[in-house]
Amino acid sequence: MAHDDKGTSRRMDDADEVLALRARAGDRQAFTRLVRRHQERVFRFVLRMLDSRDEAMDLTQDAFLRAWNALPGWRPEARFATWLFQIARNAALDLLRRRQRVEFVPLDPDAPGETMFEPHDTAPSPEQRLADRQRIGLLERALGALPAGQREILLLRELEDMSYAEIAATLGIQEGTVKSRLARARAAALAHYRHHAGESPDDRSA
Amino acid sequence: MTDPHETHVTDDDLSAYLDAELASTERRRVADHLAGCPRCTARLADFAALSADFDRLPQDSLGCDLAGVIAGRIAAAPRPRPRAPGWRGLLPLGFGAAASVALGIAMGAALVGGGAALPRPAVLSVFDPIPPGSLCPGPESCYARGTLPMGAMR
Repeated sequence: MAHDDKGTSRRMDDADEVLALRARAGDRQAFTRLVRRHQERVFRFVLRMLDSRDEAMDLTQDAFLRAWNALPGWRPEARFATWLFQIARNAALDLLRRRQRVEFVPLDPDAPGETMFEPHDTAPSPEQRLADRQRIGLLERALGALPAGQREILLLRELEDMSYAEIAATLGIQEGTVKSRLARARAAALAHYRHHAGESPDDRSA
Repeated sequence: MTDPHETHVTDDDLSAYLDAELASTERRRVADHLAGCPRCTARLADFAALSADFDRLPQDSLGCDLAGVIAGRIAAAPRPRPRAPGWRGLLPLGFGAAASVALGIAMGAALVGGGAALPRPAVLSVFDPIPPGSLCPGPESCYARGTLPMGAMR
């Protein structure tokens, strides 16, 4: 993460903490602002965990309501976003347990949504777009096939850009466990690439 | 002196190196190793490629603002407040405890002191002392001393 990004992130954290303190004291408007700041991130994470848009929307609401009720127990020493993700993650795991399923069905790589990714700085060639789409399909299949524990740690690191300390706090594990579990999840995802693509992940079309 | 490339860097360390989560000493050690090890360099590139793929995932969006819905729900159902129980709250507990102790004392007194509830042997005498089928292991087992029937005196 760039230095400026860290500064921005810190300012966001400070604002979060101020809002959370006000919300803890009963300020509903402050909590509403927290919802607006974090709803997209929580939804994205929960959606990737559950692979069901309707359930993800319900669960995102539910996570915020749980957070509102639990706020009197929140202490400013805990980063608000980490604490919120802890709640969302526990709610998602509860739902997965109730479903009695650990993996979700992989998304169809040819689905229309697959073409919605943002293009990079230069417009990619049609071949590049096809290769990218194939890799995204592989990644989504790999995520769907991973155990929930490996999937969540990959999402927290790669999508949410959390540090090992933040992941450890969110999952309630040691940083050393984060390190090894994340490496195992990456290795498993790469193995899945190879298995389904019949290629080595380094055979990327650049 | 051992060859630094003899032992490859573990996935744990490569993954943490990619995330810039290694301590400076470890980071230098891994960097030195990578400078001369194509195998570990390729593995690190695999991890980096995987990480880059996450950036290409479609950015799913809620498509609506939940803040209004949540504001309505928390306004309708106020936050439950954990309250410390006052002396009124403790009354039922006190009555329950006192009743339990009193009941225990009463039962103990009935068993030890009074004996009023114990059944008397006379009540049991309505039953025939001879078991069904006259299966006495010996006459003295079934009859009180001095009351043996004549046939049993042989």
